[in-house]
Amino acid sequence: MPELLVAFITGFTTGGLSCMAVQGGLLATSIANQIESDITARAGRNPSRGFKIGLPILSFLVSKLIVYTLLGALLGSLGQVLRITPLAQAILQFAIALFMLGNALRMLNVHPIFRYFSFEPPASVTRFIRRKSKGETTFLTPIMLGALTVLIPCGVTQAMMAAAIATGNPLTGAGLMFAFTLGTSPVFFALAYFATRLGAMLEKHLVRITATVLIVLSIFAVDTGMNLLGARFTLTRLASNLIPFGEVAQLPTAVQPAADGNLLLNVVDKGYRPRTLHAPANLPVTLTLVTDEVYSCARAFLIPAIDYGVILDATGEKTVQIPPQAKGTVLPFTCSMGMYTGKIVFDL
Amino acid sequence: MKKQQFRVEDMHCVNCALRLQELEDTLPGVKSVHASYRTGKMVVEFEEAKTTNDQIIQAVRKLGYTAVIDS
Repeated sequence: MPELLVAFITGFTTGGLSCMAVQGGLLATSIANQIESDITARAGRNPSRGFKIGLPILSFLVSKLIVYTLLGALLGSLGQVLRITPLAQAILQFAIALFMLGNALRMLNVHPIFRYFSFEPPASVTRFIRRKSKGETTFLTPIMLGALTVLIPCGVTQAMMAAAIATGNPLTGAGLMFAFTLGTSPVFFALAYFATRLGAMLEKHLVRITATVLIVLSIFAVDTGMNLLGARFTLTRLASNLIPFGEVAQLPTAVQPAADGNLLLNVVDKGYRPRTLHAPANLPVTLTLVTDEVYSCARAFLIPAIDYGVILDATGEKTVQIPPQAKGTVLPFTCSMGMYTGKIVFDL
Repeated sequence: MKKQQFRVEDMHCVNCALRLQELEDTLPGVKSVHASYRTGKMVVEFEEAKTTNDQIIQAVRKLGYTAVIDS
């Protein structure tokens, strides 16, 4: 599940820092204050102080995790209704890229216009959250605060929410948001402990680091969008040409050119083997997609140029009829997230 | 009840606006504070008998920002 790993790492790096900027000050600090009050009240009476400190923070994080996972499922369901064409997904990826880039430029104070990329919750919502955060210290308070963070998502979280829509699957959407929110948790946990010790200088560096990573991620999002449009020259395709995979050698039948028009493509967790298929020109071609316990986004197979898309079974075979193509035609294929790519070259 | 708009141009994120909104709870006579990071402005609704523009500007300064009356 590489997309989940990517989501987790995004959460752990940029997501955590971004949450720190948007949600941290209002929510985590107020929790930390509550905890400090709690410690003061119990000082000298409870030797298991460390455990008591952690529990309210964990309640907050678990609550946040559950709510965002449910949100991911909801967004995935929404995407299932909206998503069909690779073009729509590509447009979504470009929108995500624009959003991330705008937020990065906003963080770097390039121009006030980029402030419009920030999400400002209505004053009534922030007022409600603020007043709740100043309530008595109970386990209900951190749980409620954790749930309420869903109303003030940070920039990276919003980008991840858009990615959850792009999955078009409630389970994958939920998994994506779960992995991402889980990734943000260590940073958030650390914040709750050390919020008061974070100096302005450190905060400034964190903002710059977040902005830089957002710029890099926006480039990847554009690349994903280009893959979904079937572009032949993208960073992913360039990288896949430079980095060979060992599995190809184990699949000799698939590597051979198919003069008779019957092609075999092995779909594995890490992509498609072989990455380049050779097919006869001016003849109908039958492409057989073979999966064997595949659970990554490689199962969502697309050939953008002929507007073909299918969600493959985890294990099984699926045939695709490709109409005759002129000699020299190249049909790029990709997974629905634009992460795994390959091509069919009609040169036989 | 008076409504006064201030420019607070040194907000650097949404969280700054949220901090300024906390003046609702801390400054006597203030009924509502609406601060916007996007526009760099803050609108305060307050009772003139209990607080003044200068007191609001001072309170904003204590939070680390610079408020200027927006004419």
